[in-house]
Amino acid sequence: MSKQAKAVTGGDHFTRWLVIGMVILVVITGVVFSMISSSTKANESFAALKGYSLGQPVAATIDSAPGSGLVLNTGAPVKIDLWEDPQCPVCRNFETSIGAYVEDLVRSKKATVVFHVLSFLGPESIRAANALMCSADESQYLDFHKALYVVQPALENSGFYSNENLIKIGDYIGLKSKSFADCVTSGAKLNLVKAHADSMSIYKVTGTPTVFINGKLWQRKANGFDLNEFRSAVEAG
Amino acid sequence: MKGFNARYQRTISFIGRIILGATLVAAGGLKAFVPAEAAGAVAAYKILPVQLAHLVGYALPWLEIAIGVLLIIGSSIRMASVVAGGIMVLFIGAIISLWARGLLIDCGCFGGGGVLAASKVGEVHRTYALEIARDLGLALVALYLYFFPHGLFSVEKSAYHNEEI
Repeated sequence: MSKQAKAVTGGDHFTRWLVIGMVILVVITGVVFSMISSSTKANESFAALKGYSLGQPVAATIDSAPGSGLVLNTGAPVKIDLWEDPQCPVCRNFETSIGAYVEDLVRSKKATVVFHVLSFLGPESIRAANALMCSADESQYLDFHKALYVVQPALENSGFYSNENLIKIGDYIGLKSKSFADCVTSGAKLNLVKAHADSMSIYKVTGTPTVFINGKLWQRKANGFDLNEFRSAVEAG
Repeated sequence: MKGFNARYQRTISFIGRIILGATLVAAGGLKAFVPAEAAGAVAAYKILPVQLAHLVGYALPWLEIAIGVLLIIGSSIRMASVVAGGIMVLFIGAIISLWARGLLIDCGCFGGGGVLAASKVGEVHRTYALEIARDLGLALVALYLYFFPHGLFSVEKSAYHNEEI
């Protein structure tokens, strides 16, 4: 009897280690698989940027008003302030419906647009905001900004906005300069990122996207973002 | 009660194994094939540093699947139920920490003092409470399995021998 019991426990020990080993093996294989598929997925979303070509450079200056916003096209009759977080999905909706119009306002010099790049959605927002400000140094803010929203992942802080991927996004749209890559890698604009973040309380901005037209908060009536509604608000001033 | 347990223990253990195992496999399976989202979800709890959170997001679904399969086929039930219970306790802890910090994970774009509409806040609190109740229930199932691992249809035949001896 006791002999049998011993044999059973001995077998149990072996099984236990075998099972622990198998579980560890499954987990490690899974992690490797997940990492690979995650980076494949990132590369797939870059495909959306194929065929993108850079627009005319637009120089950006730093706002002298509190908040150090990025000013495109100083001195136009209408001034639009945009508050966005690069990871915010609702900002992506805004960009999809109204972004092209805003870009047109800048390029045709009809409006001064001040970008306030917020970063409250986590570390990847901070990295992406830094990269956005780097692109402003290269006078390609509009293009990089557009591209960021095209590839924006569904979930925040999923590892997608890594410095390598941000540089890659630049690469895809033709923003290939070494100074841009260096600026992204070194986090050269982090102080400015912080200044933008801190200015939320000065302007009492609590969410994104927030829009000021000539200093007045734009309160939309439509449920989503309606281009016509926005256009008439801008034209009314 | 004692008589009841003695009489039906093998069936209860079996049902418990299936419930706990199937939940783990389903939960793990849903996450395992969308790794970037799982990683982002763990990061959203803002408990772990982001890099570590990503690693946990990648690894946890597979651990859940492995443990769930062990429970369903009935091998190393004790060990598996300890791990499963541990996972549930982790989840409960994470949700409580989230709740206590007043983080509203699903709220996407509000930050720096943004407040949610009151109706939505109630909904979020209810969701947290329900999730904790669910995980607590599963943790209790794991606890039961730790004390009564041997049930019907399990691969682990040593159970029979042990009882006979």
